[in-house]
Amino acid sequence: MANTVIAQGITIEGELTSEEDVVIQGTLRGKLVSKDTVNVESGAIVEADIAASSLSVGGHITGNVTASDRVDLMPGGRLIGDVKASRLTIADGASFKGNVDMDV
Amino acid sequence: MARASSSTSHGGSAILGKGAHIRGRIAGEGDLRVEGGISGDVALKGDLFVSDGGEVTADIEAKSVVVEGTIEGDIAATDTVSIRASARVSGAIKGSSVSIEEGAAVQGSIDADFELPPELTGKAGR
Repeated sequence: MANTVIAQGITIEGELTSEEDVVIQGTLRGKLVSKDTVNVESGAIVEADIAASSLSVGGHITGNVTASDRVDLMPGGRLIGDVKASRLTIADGASFKGNVDMDV
Repeated sequence: MARASSSTSHGGSAILGKGAHIRGRIAGEGDLRVEGGISGDVALKGDLFVSDGGEVTADIEAKSVVVEGTIEGDIAATDTVSIRASARVSGAIKGSSVSIEEGAAVQGSIDADFELPPELTGKAGR
């Protein structure tokens, strides 16, 4: 079970910081910083810049994304914004608009 | 890990874990369990549970509120407010009923909406 879960039906406007993993199923506007994994699940709406160790995108994100490890765009996921991560996967059925910086 | 067992039918149960902090406004249909920190505003249609170690500096609107941690701010519950022994609360507390366990530290006002028994209203038998 994830440490922090923003469930469906919950809206956060502001800044969420966490030392541990975060799952978003609801709505977040503002900023999200986690030292661990962030999982934006299907149905979630995030309008925020995200910094995390790894990020999995099944919902919709508008904002720039930085991951120290990896970013995975899942089928049905949508990301509008720039990605900075050493590893990036984009699954069949995901949509993405933005720049990629893989720090090579 | 202990979990709040109840959850409203409209939304899921949200958890803000230890080491997590929200600065801003939280609103929604479901329940929220706070083990970390919140500074800002909380407006829930569901229940708020602040566990021991949780720190909330915010005005709170919720259905019911259970506090084992710390709340600084006004609490307005449509249902009950339970302040457990480990809690520290400062602010105006409003609810349909308010309970405070021995050992809790509370500073502020308490406004519980209840019907006074007829012998106290001055209307009975006159």
